[in-house]
Amino acid sequence: MRLGLVIDLDVCVGCHACAVACKQWNSSGTTGPLTDYDPYGADPSGVWFNRIRSFEVGEYPQSKTVNFPMSCMHCETAECVTVCPTGASYKRPEDGIVLVDQDKCMGCNYCAWACPYGARELDQASGTMKKCTLCVDRIYDEALPEAERQPACVLTCPTRARHFGDLDDPDSGVSAVVRERGGFQSMPELGYNPTNQYLPPRVQRPAQQADRPRASLQDKLKEWMARAITK
Amino acid sequence: MLGEGLLTALPQFEDHASQEKKYTTCYMCACRCGIEVTVENNQVRFIRGNRAHPVNQGVLCAKGNAGIMKQISPAKLRNPMRRKPGTERGAGAFEEISWDEALDELTARLRAIRETDPKRLAFFTGRDQMQALTGLWAQQFGTINWAAHGGFCSVNMAAAGLYMMGHAFWEFGDPDWDRTKYFMLWGVAEDHASNPIKLGIEKLKRRGGKFVSINPVRTGYQAVADEWVPIKPGTDGALALSMIHVLLSREQFDWDFLVRYTNAPFLVVQTPGKPGDGMILRDADGRPQAWDNVNGGLVNGMEAGITPALFGEYVGPDGRPVKPVMQLIAEKYLDPQYAPERAAKVCGVPAEQIERLALEMAHVAFKETIEIKCDWTDWAGRRHEKFIGRPVSMHAMRGISAHSNGFQTCRALHLLQILLGTVDVPGGHRAKAPFPRHVPPPIKPAKHTAPNTPLSAPPLGFPTMPEDLVIDEQGHPLRIDKAYSWEAPIANHGLMHMVITNAVNGDPYPIDTLIFFMANMAWNSTMNTGDIQDMLRAKNDDGGHKIPYLVVVDSFHSETVNFADLVLPDTTYLERFDAISMLDRPISEPDSPCDSIRYPVIEPDRNVRPWQEVLVDLAGRLGFPAFTDDQGQPKYAGYTDFIRRWEKAPGIGFLAGWRGEQGEKSMRGEPNPDQWERYRENQCFFQHHLPENQRFYRFANRDYLDWAKEVGFNATAEPIVMELYSETLQRFRLAGQGLYDGPMPTDAQDKQRLVDYFDPLPIWYLSLEEAAVSEQEYPFHAVNQRPMHMYHSWDSQNAWLRQITAQNYLYMNRGRAERMGIADESWVWVESHNGRIRVQVKLMEGCQEDTVWTWNAIGKQSGAWGLSADAPESRRGFLMNHLISELLPPGSGDRRITNSDPVTGQAAWYDLKVKITPATDGADCAWPEFDTIQPLPGQAESPGELRYQTHEAVNLRRSLKDILTRN
Amino acid sequence: MYPAISVIVFTVASGAGFGLLILVALFSAFGIGGGLSLGETLTAGILGLALATVGLVSSTFHLANPRNAWRAFNRIRTSWLSREGVFAVLFYPVAILYFGGLWFMGGTKTGALQGLAVLTMLLGVAVVFSTGMIYACLRTIRQWNTSLVPANYLLMGLASGGVLLTTVLAYTKGPALATVATTTLTLLAAAGIGKLIYYFWIGKPQGSTINTATGFTRAGVRLFESGQSGGAFLNKEFGYQAPISLVHRLRLVVYALAFVIPAVLVALLMQNGMDVLALLTVFSLLAGLAVERWLFFAEARHVVNLFYGAQRT
Ligand SMILES: Nc1nc2c(c(=O)[nH]1)N[C@H]1C(S)=C(S)[C@@H](COP(=O)(O)OP(=O)(O)OC[C@H]3O[C@@H](n4cnc5c(=O)[nH]c(N)nc54)[C@H](O)[C@@H]3O)O[C@H]1N2
Ligand SMILES: Nc1nc2c(c(=O)[nH]1)N[C@H]1C(S)=C(S)[C@@H](COP(=O)(O)OP(=O)(O)OC[C@H]3O[C@@H](n4cnc5c(=O)[nH]c(N)nc54)[C@H](O)[C@@H]3O)O[C@H]1N2
Ligand code: SF4
Ligand code: SF4
Ligand code: SF4
Ligand code: SF4
Ligand code: SF4
Ligand SMILES: [Mo]
Repeated sequence: MRLGLVIDLDVCVGCHACAVACKQWNSSGTTGPLTDYDPYGADPSGVWFNRIRSFEVGEYPQSKTVNFPMSCMHCETAECVTVCPTGASYKRPEDGIVLVDQDKCMGCNYCAWACPYGARELDQASGTMKKCTLCVDRIYDEALPEAERQPACVLTCPTRARHFGDLDDPDSGVSAVVRERGGFQSMPELGYNPTNQYLPPRVQRPAQQADRPRASLQDKLKEWMARAITK
Repeated sequence: MLGEGLLTALPQFEDHASQEKKYTTCYMCACRCGIEVTVENNQVRFIRGNRAHPVNQGVLCAKGNAGIMKQISPAKLRNPMRRKPGTERGAGAFEEISWDEALDELTARLRAIRETDPKRLAFFTGRDQMQALTGLWAQQFGTINWAAHGGFCSVNMAAAGLYMMGHAFWEFGDPDWDRTKYFMLWGVAEDHASNPIKLGIEKLKRRGGKFVSINPVRTGYQAVADEWVPIKPGTDGALALSMIHVLLSREQFDWDFLVRYTNAPFLVVQTPGKPGDGMILRDADGRPQAWDNVNGGLVNGMEAGITPALFGEYVGPDGRPVKPVMQLIAEKYLDPQYAPERAAKVCGVPAEQIERLALEMAHVAFKETIEIKCDWTDWAGRRHEKFIGRPVSMHAMRGISAHSNGFQTCRALHLLQILLGTVDVPGGHRAKAPFPRHVPPPIKPAKHTAPNTPLSAPPLGFPTMPEDLVIDEQGHPLRIDKAYSWEAPIANHGLMHMVITNAVNGDPYPIDTLIFFMANMAWNSTMNTGDIQDMLRAKNDDGGHKIPYLVVVDSFHSETVNFADLVLPDTTYLERFDAISMLDRPISEPDSPCDSIRYPVIEPDRNVRPWQEVLVDLAGRLGFPAFTDDQGQPKYAGYTDFIRRWEKAPGIGFLAGWRGEQGEKSMRGEPNPDQWERYRENQCFFQHHLPENQRFYRFANRDYLDWAKEVGFNATAEPIVMELYSETLQRFRLAGQGLYDGPMPTDAQDKQRLVDYFDPLPIWYLSLEEAAVSEQEYPFHAVNQRPMHMYHSWDSQNAWLRQITAQNYLYMNRGRAERMGIADESWVWVESHNGRIRVQVKLMEGCQEDTVWTWNAIGKQSGAWGLSADAPESRRGFLMNHLISELLPPGSGDRRITNSDPVTGQAAWYDLKVKITPATDGADCAWPEFDTIQPLPGQAESPGELRYQTHEAVNLRRSLKDILTRN
Repeated sequence: MYPAISVIVFTVASGAGFGLLILVALFSAFGIGGGLSLGETLTAGILGLALATVGLVSSTFHLANPRNAWRAFNRIRTSWLSREGVFAVLFYPVAILYFGGLWFMGGTKTGALQGLAVLTMLLGVAVVFSTGMIYACLRTIRQWNTSLVPANYLLMGLASGGVLLTTVLAYTKGPALATVATTTLTLLAAAGIGKLIYYFWIGKPQGSTINTATGFTRAGVRLFESGQSGGAFLNKEFGYQAPISLVHRLRLVVYALAFVIPAVLVALLMQNGMDVLALLTVFSLLAGLAVERWLFFAEARHVVNLFYGAQRT
């Protein structure tokens, strides 16, 4: 099993709902709390697992704005795991989820250096590295109704741009959309083989137009006058 | 879906036994999504969208997800407070008092006002959702000086819709997201239907429909638009009317729809310069006349079965020339001044694009028609087998409404929708109950006040003629905001943005007490913030304040709280009961009238009271008739009791669900003692599913119209006729021309405005500020956008949301800025006719070249909202409001006129024109700078670190063996 | 990457320390160029161990949770950081055994001691190589992701070791001075050339870009908003960027202080044997290496910067 997210850039409006839902769930989640520093002060910051970046492609007036949510990609070649000296970072063989054991991490940041996707953030208060858990504490929680055993970010996304599932299973919903929509990976050249994929914006075919020709106003009004439509 | 075997390996992360799931309604914004709140030890573990809820269908936005941080905000007010005796207003020195003291003081003051001149109380509310209650309270008090935020928000949209088609954009209608194939979004960054629009756009795009966005800025929704039209602000009317020109010139309009459901065939008298010109020809019984094309001759335009002419020139019985409305429309808009080539110059949108967009819509409307098989009966009793749908839909909001030409622009959009036959049809723009209503709804604003007497009508209503204005015999405004005066005759929602200025100027008269509820009027929701703060401090010669007593009802330490004489602390949304009523702006869906409640999920830990509770209490103390019994004793035990038992009309109350003694009735029925509990059991909302045959064409749908009358939405079951041509506007215009048989203005400016702007057919004109200032001097349009993750001023106190945005920038088109020598992230001066600000610039591609913009309400006054004095919100963030004047630049007359739409009084925030120059003083903070607001008494220092969690984390552990043997 | 003092001290000191220890083991155990006296060996050995220790201790200063530092030896199978730790930990007993043995034997070189010396050298090389690999294995930082990095670390470690040994010998006037100095000159030259190649190599545009990061490869892409208006872990950790002009100036400083001046001084020293020159060489070299190391971090651009406004890495 290779669990991951597929994010549809065609509909992501960059609303940050997924980022905040993630923050909310995980604050009291298995690697919580996610410390916030100077929360009401001059330099507010904190630990997040999911951040939304926006880009502009092309130049005005042909420019296109693209919102790009990024969290851990649960890479197949998870170099963050490879480099971790303590073994705190690991990739679960059963489902591919990459996790950090909070009891073992020594806070060396090395894994964050190895991660190209900015998915890992150090919690200064606990001194440990934190990252997206793929909501392992939701997706396997049998006390939750089946429909809710989904990552918090997926459940909340108002444009339903986020899809969760098994990318190993060719019949899964996520595999299907990746196939149909030409899903792609971020920075494939680095060879991490991220599990998460992005769906590119759809290309619209040119819309059809009504084709009645113009006529002169005089002729028209005359012609129209005679038309009888029953009220 | 996930394998069983894996489960055993995991610990139990959540102790569900110690948690409770409670349902209520979100109020991180006005969208009113249903939420499920998991509570653990009276703390919020998790807020999740309620899947069953009609509004959000399980999803939740960023704000909704940040509710925890609102609940723990350090800016929460804790006690009633009085301005410390001997200190200056605005100095922010308070003393805490008890609720008894606070309410005794307030009651005494209000009683004295009510006994003498009730309108000396002005009661204005901001982003609330309980206007049915606050309006009723004001009416019972007897003051006409009540309104909510609508006047500075989007009354242009409401008024244009309600005076034209019986429903509107804003919260009164929705695109048919399940069926529409072509969606055009005008000037919307986020809007009230926050989650529904997002859900809808995804549906549309998944279906392969086309999404066109008309907006000077490309962010958010516009980012995912299939086509982005970077329009010059304030010119949408010209664009829409030009599209109408294209449709007419290619004969692309819905004949049947126009004949059957609109006033297009009605005959209009053509006697320019004479009284009665431009009025609809009526018979002795007042019935509108049409010309029957088959039988020849005048007929009652309301009669079924006639074959009325849409075009032609005819003569009335009295010999006056008449023309059908549609003839006037064709003559007007086929004129070359509306040709795309002309509009292109105004809007900055290429002519070919204008023409193409119009014809694309026409194609979808007329060639991709959809049909829904369903037996339904029209208003005349005729049976139909299907609903015909034209799947083109639109939505529009503040990009249109916040301009002084917004009312007419919005009418132009509706005309476009109606010509395409897309109103309340499958795939089009559909009304949400209680809409559609008659055009306009038959309620007139109250005018007369008397001591100790409730108003005979609600303070707000829908004037249809000069007689309905709220003015005295001399034509002077009677309301403090001058709503329903010649300056803003159809000000359906009042002009909240004028209240402080007018009250301080004693124009039209001084007041005694001003109550602000949930409105940050000393900061982000006022124009001209700095001057307004001075006005709040202003004193008369005798040393008394020009506004003698200011009461602020808020939950948080806002900038406005700082100016209060009396502060009444409200609860948070998770701590109180609320009724989101169909008498107000409900949460209905097109297929289903709905309402909802809030049910407390957290116990307050402070000495706060829900404002509605206080209102009901005050109403009892003051002896309002509707709130007291024969003995003059309070009739209601409190807010929940009031909501349960009060009836507007027999069987109709605030909540429509589970009425009747056993809760067996809905929409109409006797009060049910158990109603709140029944709502709670149903996850806090009520949804009435309309039968399929009542879901479309409701303006002319017999079964729906009968039902709507029955449940009290409409006074009659008459069909609702869409008014392409507005007789109301024409009446006012005649008054301006001196041709009206009734009240007429005497001031030249007023007359001219009626003549210029009260065109009975939609027009476009240059917005008023733009027309009044020099284009050379102020070349840029400056507008705002709502950030999707922040609600006005509320969310800077939110430790999570402010990490996303704690500073705003002035965004500019990159090419334009570089040509001006303005570098990314440099500081610039932005100057309008009203003032100047120093702000930091960010350059971007997706911004129309003549436009600059910023995120709304990020800038804060230092010290407010529990933030440190050096927070980025106050050091580098800024408000555009300083630049916006509540008054137009001095014009021809001696009176300065409100910076508002001349028809509706809608605040014209986005008419702002500015010039931009690099700031060479080397400063790196925003200007103007304001004094730092003092902390409140007993206010704890905001924490320097947050580690919120409701339970100790249950870690997932990795064994040493695993570490040593496997990656 | 932000050039933290702790990491600069760590890499410079441990590089020099292990470099010195490697050379001491080589020259002392095999009598090359006249060999080292016991005193010279022990002095240099202790100096080397001290430097290595300072470096290693300094490296733990940036741990946010040092309580778990002991676990760092767990992942020798994959992690170069772990490997470095393990090699370093193995190095100490071997080196101490060697130096202790030598001392115990009064300077007599037995076969066993020679074996230990070889082991010391190998482990020393392994430690320094691992240090280089800690950086070189990161595909996220193209300026580091090259075999030039461990080569540089090794060459510079050895060169600085050479300078240190030369210094010791300059004061003891030991017989091996000439050979050691010549070796040092060679090492300095090799390290200088290595660094030259490195600077040339990182100057070539390559690696991930904003286009590959976003998947939009056919048009220009620019960051609009990074989703956080202030700082956070990622841009604080990775966002550091030195001004280009400063970088260029500092490269000259590196060349002057770390290569040219030491080489000239060592050459002079070989001519006239003035021991202060040796001390100057050490100062110059260590200062140069500190700058070199500062640049090593300051010039490295983590790909995460693409999400904070960088166009390429
Ligand atoms: N997240 C969030 N949601 C909110 C609010 C909030 O503060 N935050 N506020 C609520 C309130 S009170 C309101 S009134 C609604 C308002 O919701 P919106 O109508 O979305 O209001 P704005 O954010 O002002 O967006 C106005 C849009 O119009 C564009 N615009 C400006 N001038 C013109 C123009 O002349 N023509 C066109 N075509 N476009 C133009 C701007 O670029 C911007 O995108 O949102 C509500 N919902
Ligand atoms: N420049 C510029 N200015 C604008 C706009 C713009 O687009 N540009 N938009 C305008 C529009 S459309 C609007 S609607 C206004 C919004 O204007 P307002 O409604 O006045 O502003 P808000 O910032 O929403 O804050 C209202 C107050 O409500 C308080 N509050 C929040 N929750 C509660 C609660 O539960 N109970 C009580 N009692 N108080 C609560 C907050 O603390 C805050 O002080 O702003 C207007 N101002
Ligand atoms: S919640 Fe959905 S639409 Fe919003 S930013 Fe996340 S992915 Fe995009
Ligand atoms: S995204 Fe980063 S943290 Fe996640 S698996 Fe890949 S490399 Fe590791
Ligand atoms: S920070 Fe923690 S998880 Fe990351 S590499 Fe170091 S020990 Fe491993
Ligand atoms: S899967 Fe869970 S942890 Fe990962 S980004 Fe989504 S909400 Fe956050
Ligand atoms: S849109 Fe967001 S903030 Fe508004 S009610 Fe819905 S969830 Fe709450
Ligand atoms: Mo608004």
